Amino acid sequence: MKPIFDIQFMISIVPEILKVVPVTLNITIVSMFFAIIVGLISALVRIYKIPVACQIASTYLSFMRGTPLLVQIYLAYYGIPKILDYAHTYYGWNIDVNGIPAIVFIYFAFTLNVGAYLSETIRAAIQAIDKGQMEAALSIGMTTWQGLRRIIFPQALAVALPSFGNTVISLIKDTSLAFMISVVEMMGQAKILGARGLQFFEVYIVVALIYWIICIIVERTVIRLEKRVKQFERGRSI
Amino acid sequence: MSQENLLEIVSVDRTYVDTDDNTVEALRDINLTVRKGEFLTIIGPSGCGKTTLLRLIAGLDRPEAGEILLAGEKITAPDPQRGYVFQQGSLFPWLTVEKNIAAGLKARGVYQENKADVAQFIELIGLHGFAKSYPHQISGGMAQRVAIARTLINRPVALLLDEPMGALDTFSRADLQDKLLELWENDGTTMVLVTHDVDEAIYLSDRIVIMTPRPGKISEILDVHLPRPRQRGDAEFMALRKNLLEKFHLASSMPQPEYAI
Repeated sequence: MKPIFDIQFMISIVPEILKVVPVTLNITIVSMFFAIIVGLISALVRIYKIPVACQIASTYLSFMRGTPLLVQIYLAYYGIPKILDYAHTYYGWNIDVNGIPAIVFIYFAFTLNVGAYLSETIRAAIQAIDKGQMEAALSIGMTTWQGLRRIIFPQALAVALPSFGNTVISLIKDTSLAFMISVVEMMGQAKILGARGLQFFEVYIVVALIYWIICIIVERTVIRLEKRVKQFERGRSI
Repeated sequence: MSQENLLEIVSVDRTYVDTDDNTVEALRDINLTVRKGEFLTIIGPSGCGKTTLLRLIAGLDRPEAGEILLAGEKITAPDPQRGYVFQQGSLFPWLTVEKNIAAGLKARGVYQENKADVAQFIELIGLHGFAKSYPHQISGGMAQRVAIARTLINRPVALLLDEPMGALDTFSRADLQDKLLELWENDGTTMVLVTHDVDEAIYLSDRIVIMTPRPGKISEILDVHLPRPRQRGDAEFMALRKNLLEKFHLASSMPQPEYAI
């Protein structure tokens, strides 16, 4: 009787899948970095109710949370070149649209998508900190920005970390959509390998396991970080 | 004590909208002058606007009408010149005692040249050995002393205290009151204290401002001429206490019903 899956083959493709893990991580890290900036700005704009910017931020959030990520990726992939092409033709911007690698559109779409989700997390975390903390900071001579950076953010970080970790894990899994615009990350590589010998089942088992392991590592790291930022709470009270 | 004026509060009004959408007149036509170097206490029942007034002086809030001047200059924002000590729990929880006290110096970029002050203030408030403790590891009374040191290290001209002893037990309270007097006598910082404790007001102040609620306004200003150090059991102290409590009773309650038999 033939085994249900070919272990030999599975082992042999592991190195080939691992080869593209850096692409997955690259998309995750770059998008996350910019998403934090976007999320922070849109959160602050809404907390301080800055006119116009606040409305723009709310619309952006609503759109990003109300449309599928895949649609957003296609919008970026087909839309941005069109806009740039238009600018090139009518305004003389000197951009070679065909020279932009597909991964840039992925960065763009993921940054805006994750930024929207982070914005809510960040806003809730900042607002969870007692108002008196900011007032205390201001009254000892800090500027608003110093108060945010030195007093509010560190405490908000501790509050936001668990939900922040979930966002990173979702993002890692969502990177599997990047192959839809032909960025060869883990999912893309799996499709290519699977098509070679029509052994899709085996390939996807391997891919699933690798995603799982990466996510476990991230989860553990976040838990450890959480302990570190809450370190000040340790020790005996008197 | 000099008679020079430090703070001038001129025709200040402040209303706010509470959670039930009612407009509350927290302060109506407040006029008050605080002399340089004096220990002034604002006393009154809850809701008389005493904390609101202190927050206006601190610049944490703005008046709707009138103005508040410090040494002739209009107050528009918080400033370390007017140190503010909160009711409780205002320490930065993940900074140690030492770092809490140093926070103001660091923010204004003068930490390096004033480094020695931090240790000196820890000593001064009697928290030697607790420099590396976190706020949740020390008692409420100690935490309030840290809050006072954190403010005083900025060398304020006026220290604004919002019921700093309110959440403390009797012993820590008496202890902190003495500490406060000691600090005040040493460097002559003008003190403005908000409290609802009559004994505390008499024990500490040169003058007592009595406020009444709805709308919050000043009903009377009382001079305290008792010599220092004051004794809480003194006949004069007790007389003043009785006097003050009576004023409260008259000022804040409805007329007593008359019974005819």
